Amino acid sequence: MSVQAWARFAVVLIVAAVVQVGLLNSVQVAGAHPDVFLLIAVVAGLLRGPQKGATMGFFTGLVADLFVATPYGLSSFCFVLVAFSVGLAAGLPGGRAPYSFRVMTAVLGGIGGTLLFAGLETLIGQPHPDVRQLAAICGVVALGNAVLVVPTVAIVQRAVPSGGASQREAAALSGGSSPAR
Amino acid sequence: MATTRRNTSQRLTLVILLLASITVITLDYRGSASRDIGSLRSAARDVISPIQRGISAALRPVGNFFAGAVNYGSAAAENGRLQNEIGTLRRQVLENAQAEHQLQQILSLQHLPFVQNIPTADAEVISGSTSNFQLTIEIDRGTSNGVAVGMPVVSGAGLVGDVIAAGSSTSVVQLMTDPRSDVGVSFGPSSSVAVAQGQGAGAPLSLLDVTASMTPKVGERVYTSGITGANNYPGGIPVGYITSVSPPNGSLTRTVLVQPYASFSDIQYVSVMQWLPPA
Repeated sequence: MSVQAWARFAVVLIVAAVVQVGLLNSVQVAGAHPDVFLLIAVVAGLLRGPQKGATMGFFTGLVADLFVATPYGLSSFCFVLVAFSVGLAAGLPGGRAPYSFRVMTAVLGGIGGTLLFAGLETLIGQPHPDVRQLAAICGVVALGNAVLVVPTVAIVQRAVPSGGASQREAAALSGGSSPAR
Repeated sequence: MATTRRNTSQRLTLVILLLASITVITLDYRGSASRDIGSLRSAARDVISPIQRGISAALRPVGNFFAGAVNYGSAAAENGRLQNEIGTLRRQVLENAQAEHQLQQILSLQHLPFVQNIPTADAEVISGSTSNFQLTIEIDRGTSNGVAVGMPVVSGAGLVGDVIAAGSSTSVVQLMTDPRSDVGVSFGPSSSVAVAQGQGAGAPLSLLDVTASMTPKVGERVYTSGITGANNYPGGIPVGYITSVSPPNGSLTRTVLVQPYASFSDIQYVSVMQWLPPA
Protein backbone atom coordinates (compact mmCIF):
# COMPACT_ATOMS: atom_id res chain seq x y z
CA MET A 1 0.00 0.00 0.00
CA SER A 2 1.31 3.45 -0.91
CA VAL A 3 1.80 6.32 1.52
CA GLN A 4 -1.14 8.11 -0.11
CA ALA A 5 -3.37 5.08 0.47
CA TRP A 6 -2.37 4.96 4.15
CA ALA A 7 -3.05 8.71 4.45
CA ARG A 8 -6.51 8.24 2.93
CA PHE A 9 -7.13 5.31 5.28
CA ALA A 10 -6.13 7.56 8.22
CA VAL A 11 -8.77 10.08 7.08
CA VAL A 12 -11.33 7.23 6.95
CA LEU A 13 -10.44 6.34 10.55
CA ILE A 14 -10.83 9.96 11.70
CA VAL A 15 -14.26 10.16 10.02
CA ALA A 16 -15.14 6.81 11.63
CA ALA A 17 -14.18 8.21 15.04
CA VAL A 18 -16.45 11.23 14.54
CA VAL A 19 -19.34 9.02 13.37
CA GLN A 20 -18.87 6.54 16.23
CA VAL A 21 -18.41 9.06 19.05
CA GLY A 22 -20.78 11.73 17.78
CA LEU A 23 -23.57 9.57 16.40
CA LEU A 24 -23.46 5.80 16.87
CA ASN A 25 -22.72 5.93 20.62
CA SER A 26 -26.17 7.50 21.02
CA VAL A 27 -27.93 4.76 19.03
CA GLN A 28 -28.49 2.59 22.08
CA VAL A 29 -30.61 -0.55 21.79
CA ALA A 30 -30.79 -2.77 24.88
CA GLY A 31 -27.71 -0.98 26.27
CA ALA A 32 -25.58 -1.63 23.17
CA HIS A 33 -24.66 0.32 20.04
CA PRO A 34 -23.17 -0.42 16.60
CA ASP A 35 -19.36 -0.56 16.33
CA VAL A 36 -18.04 1.07 13.17
CA PHE A 37 -14.38 0.33 14.03
CA LEU A 38 -15.03 -3.40 14.15
CA LEU A 39 -16.88 -3.09 10.85
CA ILE A 40 -13.88 -1.34 9.26
CA ALA A 41 -11.64 -4.23 10.39
CA VAL A 42 -14.07 -6.71 8.80
CA VAL A 43 -14.21 -4.67 5.59
CA ALA A 44 -10.40 -4.35 5.52
CA GLY A 45 -10.11 -8.14 5.60
CA LEU A 46 -12.80 -8.48 2.94
CA LEU A 47 -11.25 -6.02 0.51
CA ARG A 48 -7.51 -6.42 1.11
CA GLY A 49 -7.15 -10.05 2.19
CA PRO A 50 -5.61 -11.46 5.38
CA GLN A 51 -2.19 -9.78 5.34
CA LYS A 52 -2.99 -6.16 4.50
CA GLY A 53 -6.40 -6.44 6.14
CA ALA A 54 -4.80 -7.47 9.44
CA THR A 55 -2.39 -4.52 9.23
CA MET A 56 -5.30 -2.15 8.59
CA GLY A 57 -7.19 -3.82 11.47
CA PHE A 58 -4.21 -3.22 13.76
CA PHE A 59 -4.22 0.54 13.11
CA THR A 60 -8.03 0.67 13.28
CA GLY A 61 -7.78 -0.86 16.76
CA LEU A 62 -5.18 1.68 17.86
CA VAL A 63 -7.52 4.53 16.86
CA ALA A 64 -10.57 2.83 18.42
CA ASP A 65 -8.70 2.37 21.70
CA LEU A 66 -8.18 6.14 21.97
CA PHE A 67 -11.88 6.52 22.76
CA VAL A 68 -12.36 3.75 25.32
CA ALA A 69 -10.91 3.05 28.74
CA THR A 70 -10.14 -0.62 28.16
CA PRO A 71 -6.43 -1.55 28.00
CA TYR A 72 -4.76 0.17 25.04
CA GLY A 73 -4.01 -2.37 22.30
CA LEU A 74 -6.81 -4.79 23.18
CA SER A 75 -8.96 -3.70 20.23
CA SER A 76 -5.89 -3.95 17.95
CA PHE A 77 -5.31 -7.54 19.03
CA CYS A 78 -8.97 -8.36 18.42
CA PHE A 79 -9.22 -6.53 15.07
CA VAL A 80 -6.03 -8.16 13.73
CA LEU A 81 -7.53 -11.60 14.32
CA VAL A 82 -10.93 -10.57 12.91
CA ALA A 83 -9.48 -8.98 9.75
CA PHE A 84 -7.11 -11.91 9.20
CA SER A 85 -9.93 -14.47 9.56
CA VAL A 86 -12.26 -12.49 7.29
CA GLY A 87 -9.42 -12.12 4.76
CA LEU A 88 -8.95 -15.88 4.71
CA ALA A 89 -12.70 -16.42 4.36
CA ALA A 90 -12.86 -13.88 1.52
CA GLY A 91 -10.43 -16.06 -0.43
CA LEU A 92 -12.91 -18.93 -0.40
CA PRO A 93 -15.21 -19.57 -3.39
CA GLY A 94 -18.11 -17.98 -1.48
CA GLY A 95 -16.23 -14.70 -1.62
CA ARG A 96 -17.22 -14.29 -5.24
CA ALA A 97 -20.85 -13.55 -4.31
CA PRO A 98 -20.31 -9.94 -3.31
CA TYR A 99 -23.52 -8.71 -1.73
CA SER A 100 -24.82 -11.71 0.22
CA PHE A 101 -21.34 -12.89 1.15
CA ARG A 102 -20.20 -9.49 2.39
CA VAL A 103 -23.35 -8.87 4.43
CA MET A 104 -23.10 -12.33 5.95
CA THR A 105 -19.39 -11.87 6.67
CA ALA A 106 -20.08 -8.48 8.26
CA VAL A 107 -22.75 -10.05 10.50
CA LEU A 108 -20.60 -13.04 11.48
CA GLY A 109 -17.53 -10.82 11.86
CA GLY A 110 -19.51 -8.57 14.20
CA ILE A 111 -20.62 -11.48 16.35
CA GLY A 112 -17.20 -13.17 16.28
CA GLY A 113 -15.34 -9.93 17.03
CA THR A 114 -17.64 -9.12 19.95
CA LEU A 115 -17.27 -12.59 21.46
CA LEU A 116 -13.50 -12.50 20.90
CA PHE A 117 -13.24 -9.12 22.65
CA ALA A 118 -15.30 -10.40 25.59
CA GLY A 119 -13.03 -13.47 25.78
CA LEU A 120 -9.88 -11.36 25.69
CA GLU A 121 -11.24 -9.12 28.46
CA THR A 122 -11.94 -12.18 30.59
CA LEU A 123 -8.45 -13.50 29.83
CA ILE A 124 -6.74 -10.36 31.16
CA GLY A 125 -8.95 -10.21 34.24
CA GLN A 126 -11.35 -7.46 33.20
CA PRO A 127 -15.02 -7.74 34.21
CA HIS A 128 -17.24 -8.84 31.35
CA PRO A 129 -20.99 -8.49 30.73
CA ASP A 130 -23.37 -11.34 31.57
CA VAL A 131 -24.74 -13.66 28.87
CA ARG A 132 -27.93 -11.64 28.38
CA GLN A 133 -26.01 -8.40 27.85
CA LEU A 134 -23.42 -10.12 25.65
CA ALA A 135 -26.20 -11.48 23.44
CA ALA A 136 -27.68 -7.97 23.16
CA ILE A 137 -24.28 -6.53 22.18
CA CYS A 138 -23.74 -9.27 19.56
CA GLY A 139 -27.21 -8.66 18.10
CA VAL A 140 -26.89 -4.89 17.89
CA VAL A 141 -23.33 -4.99 16.49
CA ALA A 142 -24.34 -7.61 13.90
CA LEU A 143 -27.40 -5.61 12.86
CA GLY A 144 -25.33 -2.41 12.67
CA ASN A 145 -22.76 -4.17 10.51
CA ALA A 146 -25.45 -5.48 8.17
CA VAL A 147 -26.86 -1.99 7.71
CA LEU A 148 -23.54 -0.16 7.42
CA VAL A 149 -21.47 -2.66 5.42
CA VAL A 150 -22.49 -1.29 2.00
CA PRO A 151 -21.42 2.34 2.57
CA THR A 152 -18.35 1.24 4.54
CA VAL A 153 -17.17 -1.05 1.71
CA ALA A 154 -17.66 1.79 -0.77
CA ILE A 155 -15.73 4.28 1.39
CA VAL A 156 -12.82 1.96 2.26
CA GLN A 157 -12.60 0.76 -1.35
CA ARG A 158 -12.47 4.34 -2.58
CA ALA A 159 -9.82 5.27 0.00
CA VAL A 160 -7.69 2.17 -0.42
CA PRO A 161 -8.34 0.77 -3.90
CA SER A 162 -7.25 -2.81 -4.39
CA GLY A 163 -7.46 -3.24 -8.14
CA GLY A 164 -9.89 -3.33 -11.05
CA ALA A 165 -11.94 -6.39 -10.11
CA SER A 166 -12.50 -5.25 -6.55
CA GLN A 167 -13.39 -1.74 -7.72
CA ARG A 168 -16.05 -3.15 -10.03
CA GLU A 169 -17.41 -5.26 -7.16
CA ALA A 170 -17.48 -2.29 -4.82
CA ALA A 171 -19.19 -0.14 -7.42
CA ALA A 172 -21.81 -2.84 -8.00
CA LEU A 173 -22.25 -3.31 -4.26
CA SER A 174 -22.72 0.37 -3.57
CA GLY A 175 -25.22 0.67 -6.41
CA GLY A 176 -22.92 2.67 -8.70
CA SER A 177 -21.92 1.89 -12.26
CA SER A 178 -18.62 0.33 -13.10
CA PRO A 179 -16.45 2.17 -15.61
CA ALA A 180 -15.16 -1.15 -16.97
CA ARG A 181 -18.62 -2.41 -17.92
CA MET B 1 5.86 -22.74 -4.11
CA ALA B 2 4.50 -19.20 -4.42
CA THR B 3 1.44 -20.16 -2.36
CA THR B 4 3.64 -21.57 0.42
CA ARG B 5 5.73 -18.37 0.46
CA ARG B 6 2.56 -16.26 0.59
CA ASN B 7 1.13 -18.33 3.44
CA THR B 8 4.38 -18.02 5.41
CA SER B 9 4.40 -14.26 4.83
CA GLN B 10 0.77 -13.99 5.99
CA ARG B 11 1.45 -15.97 9.14
CA LEU B 12 4.56 -13.92 9.87
CA THR B 13 2.59 -10.68 9.51
CA LEU B 14 -0.13 -12.04 11.81
CA VAL B 15 2.40 -13.02 14.49
CA ILE B 16 4.18 -9.64 14.28
CA LEU B 17 0.91 -7.70 14.58
CA LEU B 18 -0.30 -9.81 17.52
CA LEU B 19 3.04 -9.37 19.28
CA ALA B 20 2.87 -5.63 18.63
CA SER B 21 -0.63 -5.54 20.17
CA ILE B 22 0.52 -7.51 23.22
CA THR B 23 3.47 -5.12 23.62
CA VAL B 24 1.13 -2.11 23.55
CA ILE B 25 -1.21 -3.75 26.10
CA THR B 26 1.75 -4.54 28.37
CA LEU B 27 3.09 -0.99 28.10
CA ASP B 28 -0.33 0.38 29.01
CA TYR B 29 -0.71 -2.01 31.93
CA ARG B 30 2.74 -1.91 33.48
CA GLY B 31 5.07 0.45 31.69
CA SER B 32 5.79 4.13 32.09
CA ALA B 33 4.02 4.66 28.75
CA SER B 34 0.68 4.38 30.56
CA ARG B 35 0.64 8.11 31.36
CA ASP B 36 1.54 9.03 27.77
CA ILE B 37 -1.27 6.83 26.48
CA GLY B 38 -3.66 8.55 28.91
CA SER B 39 -2.55 11.95 27.59
CA LEU B 40 -3.00 10.74 24.01
CA ARG B 41 -6.52 9.57 24.80
CA SER B 42 -7.41 12.89 26.47
CA ALA B 43 -6.01 14.82 23.49
CA ALA B 44 -8.04 12.68 21.03
CA ARG B 45 -11.24 13.32 23.02
CA ASP B 46 -10.54 17.05 23.22
CA VAL B 47 -9.99 17.25 19.46
CA ILE B 48 -13.22 15.47 18.66
CA SER B 49 -15.40 17.04 21.38
CA PRO B 50 -16.43 20.23 19.47
CA ILE B 51 -17.83 18.09 16.63
CA GLN B 52 -19.37 15.76 19.17
CA ARG B 53 -21.12 18.64 20.96
CA GLY B 54 -22.44 20.00 17.66
CA ILE B 55 -23.88 16.64 16.62
CA SER B 56 -25.28 16.04 20.11
CA ALA B 57 -26.96 19.47 20.17
CA ALA B 58 -28.37 18.97 16.67
CA LEU B 59 -29.72 15.46 17.19
CA ARG B 60 -31.00 15.67 20.76
CA PRO B 61 -34.24 17.56 19.90
CA VAL B 62 -34.99 15.00 17.17
CA GLY B 63 -34.42 12.12 19.59
CA ASN B 64 -36.49 13.82 22.29
CA PHE B 65 -39.34 14.40 19.81
CA PHE B 66 -39.55 10.73 18.84
CA ALA B 67 -39.10 9.55 22.42
CA GLY B 68 -41.87 11.92 23.54
CA ALA B 69 -44.24 10.79 20.78
CA VAL B 70 -43.69 7.10 21.48
CA ASN B 71 -43.87 7.42 25.27
CA TYR B 72 -46.63 10.07 25.53
CA GLY B 73 -48.97 7.98 27.73
CA SER B 74 -46.34 6.90 30.23
CA ALA B 75 -44.80 10.41 30.25
CA ALA B 76 -48.16 11.96 31.23
CA ALA B 77 -48.63 9.41 34.03
CA GLU B 78 -45.06 9.93 35.21
CA ASN B 79 -45.57 13.71 35.21
CA GLY B 80 -48.52 13.34 37.60
CA ARG B 81 -46.55 11.01 39.85
CA LEU B 82 -43.56 13.38 39.89
CA GLN B 83 -45.76 16.37 40.75
CA ASN B 84 -47.01 14.46 43.77
CA GLU B 85 -43.45 13.47 44.68
CA ILE B 86 -42.29 17.11 44.47
CA GLY B 87 -44.94 18.10 47.00
CA THR B 88 -43.80 15.37 49.38
CA LEU B 89 -40.15 16.31 48.95
CA ARG B 90 -40.83 20.01 49.60
CA ARG B 91 -42.40 19.06 52.90
CA GLN B 92 -39.46 16.79 53.74
CA VAL B 93 -36.95 19.56 52.93
CA LEU B 94 -38.62 21.82 55.46
CA GLU B 95 -38.63 19.05 58.04
CA ASN B 96 -34.99 18.19 57.38
CA ALA B 97 -33.65 21.74 57.47
CA GLN B 98 -33.21 21.78 61.23
CA ALA B 99 -31.60 18.32 61.32
CA GLU B 100 -29.24 19.32 58.51
CA HIS B 101 -28.16 22.44 60.38
CA GLN B 102 -27.32 20.38 63.45
CA LEU B 103 -25.45 17.80 61.35
CA GLN B 104 -23.35 20.51 59.70
CA GLN B 105 -22.34 21.83 63.10
CA ILE B 106 -21.31 18.37 64.32
CA LEU B 107 -19.37 17.59 61.12
CA SER B 108 -17.53 20.92 61.20
CA LEU B 109 -16.47 20.17 64.76
CA GLN B 110 -15.10 16.80 63.55
CA HIS B 111 -13.46 18.43 60.43
CA LEU B 112 -15.46 16.16 58.12
CA PRO B 113 -16.78 17.31 54.71
CA PHE B 114 -20.54 17.83 54.36
CA VAL B 115 -21.88 16.81 50.98
CA GLN B 116 -23.90 19.96 50.43
CA ASN B 117 -20.89 22.19 51.15
CA ILE B 118 -18.72 20.67 48.43
CA PRO B 119 -18.46 22.90 45.32
CA THR B 120 -19.74 21.37 42.09
CA ALA B 121 -19.25 21.91 38.36
CA ASP B 122 -22.40 21.36 36.31
CA ALA B 123 -21.87 19.44 33.08
CA GLU B 124 -23.79 18.20 30.07
CA VAL B 125 -23.52 14.61 28.90
CA ILE B 126 -22.24 14.73 25.31
CA SER B 127 -21.82 11.03 24.57
CA GLY B 128 -22.24 7.52 25.84
CA SER B 129 -19.48 4.95 25.92
CA THR B 130 -17.64 4.11 22.71
CA SER B 131 -17.09 0.57 23.98
CA ASN B 132 -20.02 -1.80 24.41
CA PHE B 133 -18.08 -3.38 27.27
CA GLN B 134 -17.93 -0.32 29.50
CA LEU B 135 -20.60 1.78 31.13
CA THR B 136 -19.29 5.32 30.86
CA ILE B 137 -20.52 8.73 29.77
CA GLU B 138 -18.57 11.67 28.44
CA ILE B 139 -19.22 15.14 29.85
CA ASP B 140 -18.33 18.60 28.52
CA ARG B 141 -16.19 19.65 31.51
CA GLY B 142 -12.51 18.91 31.99
CA THR B 143 -9.40 19.97 33.87
CA SER B 144 -9.88 23.58 32.71
CA ASN B 145 -13.13 23.58 34.73
CA GLY B 146 -11.54 22.10 37.84
CA VAL B 147 -12.50 18.49 37.10
CA ALA B 148 -9.97 15.81 38.06
CA VAL B 149 -9.77 12.03 38.00
CA GLY B 150 -11.46 10.49 41.06
CA MET B 151 -14.08 13.19 41.60
CA PRO B 152 -17.62 11.94 42.32
CA VAL B 153 -20.36 12.73 39.82
CA VAL B 154 -24.00 13.12 40.88
CA SER B 155 -27.32 13.86 39.25
CA GLY B 156 -30.35 15.42 40.88
CA ALA B 157 -31.36 11.95 42.10
CA GLY B 158 -28.07 10.72 43.55
CA LEU B 159 -24.67 9.24 42.79
CA VAL B 160 -23.88 8.59 39.13
CA GLY B 161 -20.23 7.48 39.27
CA ASP B 162 -16.76 8.97 39.26
CA VAL B 163 -14.38 10.61 36.80
CA ILE B 164 -11.90 8.09 35.39
CA ALA B 165 -10.26 10.28 32.70
CA ALA B 166 -10.07 14.03 32.35
CA GLY B 167 -8.97 16.03 29.31
CA SER B 168 -8.81 19.81 29.20
CA SER B 169 -12.42 20.24 28.04
CA THR B 170 -14.04 16.81 28.42
CA SER B 171 -14.03 13.99 30.95
CA VAL B 172 -15.08 10.35 31.07
CA VAL B 173 -17.30 9.24 33.94
CA GLN B 174 -17.55 5.57 34.90
CA LEU B 175 -21.13 4.80 35.90
CA MET B 176 -21.61 2.99 39.20
CA THR B 177 -23.49 0.23 37.33
CA ASP B 178 -20.25 -0.72 35.51
CA PRO B 179 -18.94 -4.06 36.81
CA ARG B 180 -15.58 -2.33 37.51
CA SER B 181 -17.24 0.08 39.94
CA ASP B 182 -17.17 -0.42 43.73
CA VAL B 183 -18.84 2.09 46.04
CA GLY B 184 -18.48 2.00 49.82
CA VAL B 185 -22.01 2.39 51.22
CA SER B 186 -23.90 2.46 54.48
CA PHE B 187 -27.53 1.55 55.19
CA GLY B 188 -30.01 0.97 57.95
CA PRO B 189 -30.50 2.55 61.38
CA SER B 190 -27.11 1.29 62.57
CA SER B 191 -25.34 2.55 59.42
CA SER B 192 -24.04 -0.89 58.45
CA VAL B 193 -21.14 -0.61 56.01
CA ALA B 194 -20.82 -2.65 52.78
CA VAL B 195 -19.62 -2.31 49.20
CA ALA B 196 -22.04 -1.80 46.29
CA GLN B 197 -20.77 -3.33 43.06
CA GLY B 198 -22.11 -2.63 39.55
CA GLN B 199 -23.60 -5.53 37.58
CA GLY B 200 -24.05 -4.04 34.15
CA ALA B 201 -26.53 -1.92 32.22
CA GLY B 202 -30.06 -1.97 33.61
CA ALA B 203 -29.13 -4.30 36.46
CA PRO B 204 -29.29 -3.30 40.15
CA LEU B 205 -26.15 -2.96 42.25
CA SER B 206 -25.11 -5.91 44.39
CA LEU B 207 -24.05 -5.40 48.01
CA LEU B 208 -20.84 -7.22 48.98
CA ASP B 209 -19.47 -7.82 52.48
CA VAL B 210 -22.94 -8.11 54.06
CA THR B 211 -22.26 -9.97 57.31
CA ALA B 212 -24.71 -12.17 59.23
CA SER B 213 -25.09 -9.51 61.92
CA MET B 214 -26.42 -6.96 59.43
CA THR B 215 -30.17 -6.75 58.88
CA PRO B 216 -30.78 -5.11 55.50
CA LYS B 217 -34.46 -4.50 54.75
CA VAL B 218 -36.24 -3.95 51.46
CA GLY B 219 -36.85 -0.25 50.95
CA GLU B 220 -33.97 0.94 53.12
CA ARG B 221 -32.00 3.85 51.68
CA VAL B 222 -28.34 3.36 50.82
CA TYR B 223 -25.81 6.22 51.00
CA THR B 224 -22.07 6.50 50.38
CA SER B 225 -20.28 5.62 53.60
CA GLY B 226 -17.41 8.10 53.24
CA ILE B 227 -14.99 5.71 54.90
CA THR B 228 -11.50 6.41 53.58
CA GLY B 229 -10.01 3.46 51.76
CA ALA B 230 -13.34 1.77 51.10
CA ASN B 231 -14.42 4.14 48.35
CA ASN B 232 -13.64 7.40 46.62
CA TYR B 233 -16.67 9.35 47.73
CA PRO B 234 -17.60 11.68 50.57
CA GLY B 235 -20.24 10.23 52.89
CA GLY B 236 -23.94 10.92 52.63
CA ILE B 237 -24.52 10.89 48.86
CA PRO B 238 -27.75 8.99 48.08
CA VAL B 239 -26.96 5.82 46.10
CA GLY B 240 -30.24 3.91 45.92
CA TYR B 241 -32.62 1.74 47.89
CA ILE B 242 -32.64 -1.97 48.72
CA THR B 243 -35.00 -3.92 46.45
CA SER B 244 -34.25 -7.50 47.41
CA VAL B 245 -32.67 -9.49 50.26
CA SER B 246 -32.40 -13.25 49.82
CA PRO B 247 -32.49 -15.16 52.03
CA PRO B 248 -33.97 -12.49 54.35
CA ASN B 249 -31.93 -13.11 57.53
CA GLY B 250 -29.39 -15.26 59.28
CA SER B 251 -27.43 -16.58 56.32
CA LEU B 252 -23.74 -15.91 55.81
CA THR B 253 -24.17 -15.52 52.07
CA ARG B 254 -26.99 -13.18 51.26
CA THR B 255 -27.75 -11.47 47.99
CA VAL B 256 -28.75 -7.86 48.57
CA LEU B 257 -29.71 -5.81 45.53
CA VAL B 258 -29.85 -2.02 45.38
CA GLN B 259 -31.75 -0.03 42.77
CA PRO B 260 -29.85 3.21 42.03
CA TYR B 261 -31.79 6.47 42.41
CA ALA B 262 -30.11 7.94 39.32
CA SER B 263 -31.55 7.00 35.93
CA PHE B 264 -28.73 6.15 33.53
CA SER B 265 -30.68 5.60 30.32
CA ASP B 266 -31.70 9.21 29.73
CA ILE B 267 -29.12 11.11 31.76
CA GLN B 268 -28.50 14.58 30.29
CA TYR B 269 -27.00 16.80 32.99
CA VAL B 270 -24.76 15.94 35.95
CA SER B 271 -22.69 17.74 38.57
CA VAL B 272 -19.06 16.95 39.30
CA MET B 273 -18.32 17.27 43.03
CA GLN B 274 -14.94 18.98 43.29
CA TRP B 275 -13.76 16.72 46.03
CA LEU B 276 -10.89 14.29 46.05
CA PRO B 277 -10.24 11.52 48.54
CA PRO B 278 -7.46 12.24 51.02
CA ALA B 279 -4.07 11.08 49.73
